[in-house]
Amino acid sequence: MSPLFRVQGITKIYVSGEAEIRALNGVDLDLFAGELVVLLGASGSGKSTLLNILGGLDVPTDGRLFFRDEELTDADEAQLTRFRRERVGFVFQFYNLIPSLSAKENVELITELADDPMTPQEALERVDLGDRMNHFPSQLSGGQQQRVAIARAIAKRPEVLLCDEPTGALDVRTGIRVLETIEAVNRQLGTLAVIITHNASIAEMADRVIHLSDGKIAGITRNATRRDVASLNW
Amino acid sequence: MHPLYRKLLRDLGRMKGQMAAIAIVMACGLGVMIMARSMVRSLQQARGSYFASHHFGDLFCDLKRAPNAVRARLEALPGIATVETRVRGAVRLDLPGMSEPADGLVYSLPEDRPQRLNLLFIRRGRLPEPGRPDEIVVGEAFAKAHGLEPGHTLKMTLYGAQETMRIVGIVLSPDFIFETRPGEAMPDPQRFGIFWMNERKLATALNLKGAFNNIVADLAPGANPKAVLAEIDRLLEPYGGRIAYDRTDHPSTRKLDDDLRVLSQYAIAFPLLFLSVAAFMSSAALTRLIRLQREQIAQLKAFGYSNGAVGWHYLQYALVLVITGGAGGIALGYWLGLWVTEIYRKFFFFPVLGFHFDGWSLLIGLAAAVGTSFVGVISAAREAMRLPPAEAMRPEPPAEFRPSILERAGLGRFTSPVVLMAVRNLERKPWQAFFTMLGLALATAIPIIPGVMRNGIDHVMIFQWGHAQRQDTTLTLIEPDDARPALSAFTHLPGVITAEPFRVVPARLRNGHRERRVSIMGLPQGNRLLRVLDERNRPVAMPLEGLLLSAKLAEVLGLAPGDPVRVEVQEGRRPLLETTVAGTVTDYAGTSAYMELDALRRLLREGETLSGAHLAVDPAKREAFLQEIKAVSRIGAATFTRAAQESFRRTTGEMIGIIQTFYFTFAVVVAFGVVYNGARIALSERSRDLATLRVIGFSPREVATVLILELGFLTVLALAPGLWIGSRLAAALVATTSTETVRMPYIFDLPTALTSVLVILVSSFFSFAVVSRRIHDLDLLSVLKARD
Repeated sequence: MSPLFRVQGITKIYVSGEAEIRALNGVDLDLFAGELVVLLGASGSGKSTLLNILGGLDVPTDGRLFFRDEELTDADEAQLTRFRRERVGFVFQFYNLIPSLSAKENVELITELADDPMTPQEALERVDLGDRMNHFPSQLSGGQQQRVAIARAIAKRPEVLLCDEPTGALDVRTGIRVLETIEAVNRQLGTLAVIITHNASIAEMADRVIHLSDGKIAGITRNATRRDVASLNW
Repeated sequence: MHPLYRKLLRDLGRMKGQMAAIAIVMACGLGVMIMARSMVRSLQQARGSYFASHHFGDLFCDLKRAPNAVRARLEALPGIATVETRVRGAVRLDLPGMSEPADGLVYSLPEDRPQRLNLLFIRRGRLPEPGRPDEIVVGEAFAKAHGLEPGHTLKMTLYGAQETMRIVGIVLSPDFIFETRPGEAMPDPQRFGIFWMNERKLATALNLKGAFNNIVADLAPGANPKAVLAEIDRLLEPYGGRIAYDRTDHPSTRKLDDDLRVLSQYAIAFPLLFLSVAAFMSSAALTRLIRLQREQIAQLKAFGYSNGAVGWHYLQYALVLVITGGAGGIALGYWLGLWVTEIYRKFFFFPVLGFHFDGWSLLIGLAAAVGTSFVGVISAAREAMRLPPAEAMRPEPPAEFRPSILERAGLGRFTSPVVLMAVRNLERKPWQAFFTMLGLALATAIPIIPGVMRNGIDHVMIFQWGHAQRQDTTLTLIEPDDARPALSAFTHLPGVITAEPFRVVPARLRNGHRERRVSIMGLPQGNRLLRVLDERNRPVAMPLEGLLLSAKLAEVLGLAPGDPVRVEVQEGRRPLLETTVAGTVTDYAGTSAYMELDALRRLLREGETLSGAHLAVDPAKREAFLQEIKAVSRIGAATFTRAAQESFRRTTGEMIGIIQTFYFTFAVVVAFGVVYNGARIALSERSRDLATLRVIGFSPREVATVLILELGFLTVLALAPGLWIGSRLAAALVATTSTETVRMPYIFDLPTALTSVLVILVSSFFSFAVVSRRIHDLDLLSVLKARD
């Protein structure tokens, strides 16, 4: 099977004043459709930078990046916008819902853009929020807000779901509920799911765990079986 | 430098566009106030010292002829300190290079006694020496217009006699701060001048040897001017005296008083308008800043900064606005003042007209600016002070929203989420939306003012020279004469197509205690050249009985059509008449009264007389006509409609054009400032939402649409109230600047409204373009990590 993402020798250098920060230093990686991948690493290890580059929010300083056969390395702003719009779903640590829009309308923002979206109702039912469709973010708990964010991310049937610390702002019980939702989407829709975390317990739900340290891949572990999310604890 | 100052400077650096917009609006308001107040002070000071140093009289009177012996009787009147008697006459000038004759007034200078009142200021040269009949001095306005200097000669016709005079000086007189033909509102220095020469020669030329026809008097301390005026009237009546008047009625003070009143009103109205807008803008910008810095405020307090220190820190933002806006206002006011002083120097002739900066206006202006920006920031700063550190550390609670009016009306289903975002945002903060809209409405309102002014001037020009004054020339005789031979002579001048006679008499109109000195113009029925018109430019027929009054004159006398009015004629037998107001007519300069020619003659108990005639002249024979009238000695003055129109266009029209351009620039500055400020605030409030939309795949253009939808909605909502406010402001301005000397109509038409709308839309377009560019630069990555 050919990989969805091919990452070849990617380096990202941020220049701030006279200092040069090497956030990624020659990363090689293939990611496959249907996989659930956890990027694990301490703060500053480069995991967010890698996720941003995969999601078309940032471009590498050096190296090459392919999504299927399309090279994203030198894509311009418009191409990256189209890539995000058509292929990628994002889930953020702090949900980033539009507070003035109800759950359903937040999802509609996406379904109006996409070519072959789910209905907002279907997306919200997938995250078990079919009965909260008309609630505004301020009327929802943190976990519920994060599930709306997941519904918003998957409504366009993306090929890749990128989640940046999706449980970072949640308690364990709520966090597990959110991870279950991501896992279900990955399993049922065959979406490549990449989850960033510094929480090692979460790694057990993944197919593969990529350990990042100092901007490099320190190691890749493959779990023989994905652990049932409900049994995770931290 | 204290870190808080550094924070202040950097925050300001980030907000510099917005701060500059607010400071500029503030500076415009302050600038106009400083200019207007300083001008009032400069003009009052210039006039005060001029009148004092040159002994400008308190009372004035014209008469037909009184022997010099009457001077002693006048001096003996109780309440009078000094009397100056003068000879005054009309003069016609033949100037090289000018086909049309110019005319003027010539006054006598005493030779046998020192001049005691209304002394001349000598700009260049000297006064005529006693016993030198050929020497003359010229008023500065006319001298400037013709490049006359001491040593030049001047050919003039004095009461029919040709004289060649030698100019020995260029002078100013407190009698003529504003050099206009008596009864006219606008100066025409090309064709009208003031001259002074020795008394003996002038009196002889005017057939007034040993006599005088004009007096100036000074009141004794504590005298009652009204009683003295009555005494003068009584004493001079047998000598053909007209009504004596005091300074308030003197053209020199009247026109300037009108201007001072208008300036004083500007000094209040403009700053009020601009500073209100600046207050809205600064309030919106600084409240937003404090809300964004909630966590920083908490940290400062956690570190141990007192509430007072935190409050003071945020007040400093306002202080910076005051300092920049104030400094800009002072600079602008000073520059505007110098510039307006230059304009005034063209119209008002003082020995010295300097620009005196009004210190009070600076204080008032700064106080207003402090007030404006502190009002803007104080409630937000208080909120920052009150915030307990622990609470402030937590992010602001998530904004609560509810279904908007669109959904409550059942339209939600048909509305896209992007539109719903805009509508709900507006509904959630109705006051913020209201004030933004009010700012936009004021910005829409301001361009209407110069538009209405322009319309007014255009209308006056068309009214005056297209509809009312259709004669080519007006010839006025030195003295009223028998109508038949005079009219026949006029008709036989080369090129004359039509000649319509008129009779003018000075009179006083009274209604109870209200009175005005006016000229009553008698016009024949069926007059086609000089016409009186109603407010819609339709000619008003001369009534067989009663008076037609300018609407303004009727207003100041408290008269309406049908009311009785008392007419006291000040010429000949000085008849008294009780008549009625037959109607009011529209005019835009001075105040006039009209009567049917024969009715006026009957009132005067004289036969067929005329003062002059309005003529239509064949353009092909104009040169011959001009040559011929130069030779007719009985003609005292000749005025030319086209020349007057040209002069008006060149002087007043041009000045108003400049002022209008200026207001328009201000309007555009305010419009752009308000819209830009609103857009920047919306951008900063929404940056997180907008960046999220960018991340999930909205293009910059689509994201900009979200922002522009909301602002655009407010802009569209602001248009109608803005046009209404503007129309009211312009109407108020027209009303306050409509004086007895000059007026203009209030005309608010579609092009004015459209221009105003266009200014706002173009300003919006550019503001949105600037903001849209910033959407490109939104930090998408920080959104992933940022909390609400």
